[in-house]
Amino acid sequence: MNSKIVTDIVSQDQNAVVTKDDLKKVFVRSIPMEFTWNYERQMHLGYCYALLPVLKKLYKGQELADAMTRHMEFYNTTPFIITFPLGISAAQEEKCVLDPAHVDKTSVSTVKTAMMGPIAGIGDSFFWGTLRILATGVGASLALQGNILGPLLFLLIYNVPHFVMRYMGTFLGYNLGTSFLSKLEASGSMQLLTYGASIIGLMVAGSMTAEMVYMTLNIPVGVGETATDLQTILDGILPGIMPLAVFGIVYWLLKKGVKPLPLTFILMGVGILGAALGFLM
Amino acid sequence: MVIIQTLLIALLTLAARCHTMLGTSLINRPIVLGALTGLIVGDLQQGIIMGGTLELAFVGAVSIGAYIPPDMVSGTILGTAFAIAAGQGPETALALSYPIAAAYQAVSTLGTPISLWLMHKCDRYAEIGDVKKFERGYWLTGFIPKLIFVPIVPLAYYFGSDAVTAVLNQMPAFIQTGINISGGLIPALGFAMLAQMIMNKKVVVFFFLGFFTVKYLGIGTTGVAIFAVILAVILVQIEQRFNTSGSVQVQAGGELDEF
Repeated sequence: MNSKIVTDIVSQDQNAVVTKDDLKKVFVRSIPMEFTWNYERQMHLGYCYALLPVLKKLYKGQELADAMTRHMEFYNTTPFIITFPLGISAAQEEKCVLDPAHVDKTSVSTVKTAMMGPIAGIGDSFFWGTLRILATGVGASLALQGNILGPLLFLLIYNVPHFVMRYMGTFLGYNLGTSFLSKLEASGSMQLLTYGASIIGLMVAGSMTAEMVYMTLNIPVGVGETATDLQTILDGILPGIMPLAVFGIVYWLLKKGVKPLPLTFILMGVGILGAALGFLM
Repeated sequence: MVIIQTLLIALLTLAARCHTMLGTSLINRPIVLGALTGLIVGDLQQGIIMGGTLELAFVGAVSIGAYIPPDMVSGTILGTAFAIAAGQGPETALALSYPIAAAYQAVSTLGTPISLWLMHKCDRYAEIGDVKKFERGYWLTGFIPKLIFVPIVPLAYYFGSDAVTAVLNQMPAFIQTGINISGGLIPALGFAMLAQMIMNKKVVVFFFLGFFTVKYLGIGTTGVAIFAVILAVILVQIEQRFNTSGSVQVQAGGELDEF
């Protein structure tokens, strides 16, 4: 795999009409993908809008209307790499025009629909679970000290890889056509990617829990010379045992199906109760 | 002065609502909005700190699948602005933000029918293949449902600031202390939601590795993040070696050649 595959069109039919500039336009128009997100068909409008430069080049009149309608069906996946299925759709639409005898137009819809799941599977866990947590971990620890670099680094750590991958996805999708994901799945690379991403995500989540969750008991133990308090004893056994317990309980309640918003108010109640009765400080 | 601040808050609200227009680039997150709100109401430093605090509290608030998170945009902007106006700290911003975010979430669902109506007009333009009308319809479908709700946050700031300050000053001390304490508890919810998304038996140990690295070795999250990336690369390479030696026969079967 050479690097040109993600920045340019690699090999093309000599009758091909889709150019590098067209794909760049698809990339730019993919940026507001979720701008028109709605409950009915989610990303359908964004998908059709992004693909329009290619569709306009390939079709005229009624054929254009058909192609637009074809891409107005339900779509939803990770928005940051939406250019990958867009690139594939562009390649397929072009094949439909160049080789109408062998390529069926319904396959455009079948392929892009089939890819929603796998792309969202890798994409959501990588972008939301790993990259965002990396950005939050670095950004929030600076922001808590009042450092302006906090929000700035947060945006940069997230968006530089995001936009690079969004751009490269366009060309990767177009060049590889439809075979790529099935190859990736068969070679086991997909599980490896998810595995590596979840290692990073969980380690950072663990370190943030250690740094940013705190709970201090205010329960005295013993009297006179030997007086101490429960918190000191617990810290001697295992540092951070209280935050870890809080995390464990909240995790368990979430698993039991308690919704996040009520849980927030429960935690607030625990804090106020602890302060009112004096067992927390 | 308050008028200018209110107008700037209106602009900030609009920009945050339109984050999806700019590539879903996370400019609507509390860590960004907190700093900008602080800048508008005249205390950048506090705004940054409050933004960081709220970011941790809302870290689980991402819309994946069917879950619709509370509206952190109104929660952050109003929570930060009110807390700064009342001369209070980040815990107060946190305590104010959640009820606001929950209430706004309920109101904003009223926008759904409008966006569906606009969207169906685009269906018609696609059916007749009218690119110009379709593109115009596309932008209207994006903007209008967001624009009609923009005034709520700046109006709440304009009329609510004094009232919220008065209420905060009347509040008994134990509630203040209690909210400070819960400021340490609420991030656990965010991390738990996050962990739920990526946790499985094979990788659960890495959560504890991250946790105790901080507790025992005292290196911060940035340090852990660097080691985590290195560790992930090493482990993926090891895993890959096992995988390729195990799956040679499968590849020799020629299934891949079909593509």
